Amino acid sequence: MDSALLEMRNISKRFPGVVALDNVELTVKRGEIHAVIGENGAGKSTLMKILIGLYERDSGTVVFDGNPVYFRNPTDALAKGVSMIHQEMSLVPTMTVAENIWLGQESKFTRFGMISIKKRYQATCQLLEEWALSLNPNALINTISVAQMQLVELARALSYNAKIIIMDEPTSALTDTEIKQLFSIVRRLAKENGVSIIFISHKLNEIFEICDSLSVYRDGHYINSFNIDEINMDQLISMIAGRELSEMFPKKPAPVGETLLEVRNLTREGVFSDVSFKLQRGEILGFCGLMGAGRTEIMRALFGIDNYTSGEVLINGEKVHIKSPSDAVKHGLGMITEDRLRMGAIHNISVLANTTLAKFHDICNKFGFYSPKNDIAAFKSVAEKLMIKYSAPNDLMKQLSGGNQQKVIIGRWLLTDPQILILDEPTRGIDVGAKTEIHRLISNLANQGKAIIMVSSEMPEILGMSDRIIVVREGRIVHESSVKTAEQEELMAYAFGTKHADRIS
Amino acid sequence: MNNKLAVNKKKIDISKVLLGNKTVFILILLLFIMSLVSDVFLTKTNLFNVLRQICVSVILGCGYTIIIGSGHIDLSVGTMMGLVGILVGKLLLAGVPITIAIFIGCLIGASCGALNATLITVFGLQPFIVTLATKSLYEGIGYLVTKMVPVSGLPKEFITLGQGTFLSIPIPVYVMFLTLVVMIVTVSRTKLGRHAIAIGGNTEAARVSGINVGRTRLKVYMIAGVCVGIAAAMLTARSASAQVAAGQGMEMDSIAAVVMGGTPMGGGKATVLGTLFGCIIVGVVKNGLNLLGVDPNWQVIAKGMMILLAVVLDVISTRMYSNRNKTTKVK
Repeated sequence: MDSALLEMRNISKRFPGVVALDNVELTVKRGEIHAVIGENGAGKSTLMKILIGLYERDSGTVVFDGNPVYFRNPTDALAKGVSMIHQEMSLVPTMTVAENIWLGQESKFTRFGMISIKKRYQATCQLLEEWALSLNPNALINTISVAQMQLVELARALSYNAKIIIMDEPTSALTDTEIKQLFSIVRRLAKENGVSIIFISHKLNEIFEICDSLSVYRDGHYINSFNIDEINMDQLISMIAGRELSEMFPKKPAPVGETLLEVRNLTREGVFSDVSFKLQRGEILGFCGLMGAGRTEIMRALFGIDNYTSGEVLINGEKVHIKSPSDAVKHGLGMITEDRLRMGAIHNISVLANTTLAKFHDICNKFGFYSPKNDIAAFKSVAEKLMIKYSAPNDLMKQLSGGNQQKVIIGRWLLTDPQILILDEPTRGIDVGAKTEIHRLISNLANQGKAIIMVSSEMPEILGMSDRIIVVREGRIVHESSVKTAEQEELMAYAFGTKHADRIS
Repeated sequence: MNNKLAVNKKKIDISKVLLGNKTVFILILLLFIMSLVSDVFLTKTNLFNVLRQICVSVILGCGYTIIIGSGHIDLSVGTMMGLVGILVGKLLLAGVPITIAIFIGCLIGASCGALNATLITVFGLQPFIVTLATKSLYEGIGYLVTKMVPVSGLPKEFITLGQGTFLSIPIPVYVMFLTLVVMIVTVSRTKLGRHAIAIGGNTEAARVSGINVGRTRLKVYMIAGVCVGIAAAMLTARSASAQVAAGQGMEMDSIAAVVMGGTPMGGGKATVLGTLFGCIIVGVVKNGLNLLGVDPNWQVIAKGMMILLAVVLDVISTRMYSNRNKTTKVK
């Protein structure tokens, strides 16, 4: 149990312009859950990609299961028992659970070129039973929940007899209950079956909950490793950031002004109903609730991405009907969507074009022609304000880190000078340092008299940033309170439905 | 050490230039080879001949670049061009002045494009299927109008537009350059161009950023339709007759030229100048094979090989470039 299963020593890797990893190490013991921690850009994912053979290392040694190894590609690594579950899941939505688990291993069930569906079904049942994963082998992937998809990914890893499984942000799309289930399965895999887990997460409380040990990386350097009982949260945060973070949530109280937005009985049939709330200038209104409670859907309807069936929206006391995002922009709204990858960043166009996208009509002169000078000037103004890290304005968006991409999207909206800003999970998947910067920015915006709605699944963020908090459950507002009187446990109780609505809305 | 770094840096810049403008270098190489193997090639008559031949495909390709750059496709431009040519011809025969006939032709092209875009937007259909259907639609209308007989006997002044010269340069070349300039400005210097490329890069993100996707799509298809109208007029004038089959397969040639020029099939980037080079390469190879007396059937195969070569070269150079970056650039 105590012997090291994986030892990576003196790993170095250079990319154009940067040393991604500089003499980094990682040791994982048999049957332990080991956290790999660091900000975005610290080198975690590069290290993992070297481990599974997606990148070649420039120098260093990898010893796996007692032998020095050099995986040429992920298939090679998989065959030797190293499996990685990526953050963006790699399942085929239109295929069944069984088909996905054995994707690429069909030859196990093939006779004369024909797949025996029966054999594959039996093998799937056996695999799922062995690891006590509750999944229907014949369910289509696009009909199961994100949590179940994680289990399919796990099952696929296990079908290769993985000795070590790398999990990259496995909980980012899961609800708390689902996380608990996933953790109990992961724990059993490690403790009873001796599978080692490398766990990558930005949620530090999860790391304390599930991991046995951890390694910290910063700016491509290896900092240190600890057993989980040797370190506390504050020490860990300062080690990750390389500086003392006296406060994660630098919120300054802002003077609250007149009502900017009023929503009355907003309903989208079958999705949310009777949503009513007011939002004032200078205020940060926090929306919390479980994943799938309808928070994002309410925001999407407000911003005109989806339409609503009944209800009223008033901006500055005037009734408006927002039918599309371009309407919303005209009415002074801005929205940072939850799904940065799909609905925010445009990866193959430049950082510059991404930043000035929503504001482009003002970049152009009165004849509708583009002025590169205005474009660069507008970009520079927000890039400086938001401290976006880029090497040239014409860099492609995909070259930036997640935190910087998010800043670009915030910048995109700052340029339009919106009065009402909707932020849906503004700091998801962003490292600790960038998170604080974004929090400071949100607070400054409120101080400039903007009205802000912030949707978040992270309770500390909701409690640390909001002035007022609304809890959504099953498409309804079930609770509203001032941050001064709000307690995390109480909010959670409303969100989970163990405590019932204190008002009929 | 400093010196070495500087040299290294310079080298990389050269390869960057080479890879970034590979279409141009392929073209230069091609011109060089052609001038060696054929002494007719570099004559003024022949070069003007090539230019005259590619005018129609360049004008068409200009419009097509913005369609592909916005992540769309239009399979109907070929038959659309045939239809517009016929209608312009009929108008001319009915005594409509040349400028007005051409203008109406452009309007018809724009309307056809608008129909495509509207069907895509209103019903949320795939551009591929919609334009596959309208391709047949425009073709059928063309046959009904002509009753399968080519439209000929067009006014002399009109034919001069396609066959004549001004200041000893073929007239279609002027039209081609005008279209080129307008489209380069539209793609790189207008709101519409930027919005179209953003939509090609990520439609949802563009929509959420307040871009009206439907309206932008409408404009993109209408602009391409106008280009079809101009191209149809030029083609009809050059061949002194109009028939449905005139534009047959032109959509595929356009796609080939656009992609060879460096606009990716998936959209998110558009280069009108690249399309010009793509068209010139196709034109030069065709002309060269003609001069060398190669069997026309082999010319068709040569075109296929060229498209494959262009795409493969693109993939290889991108890969080579990123590898070079990984191994040599040190900071």
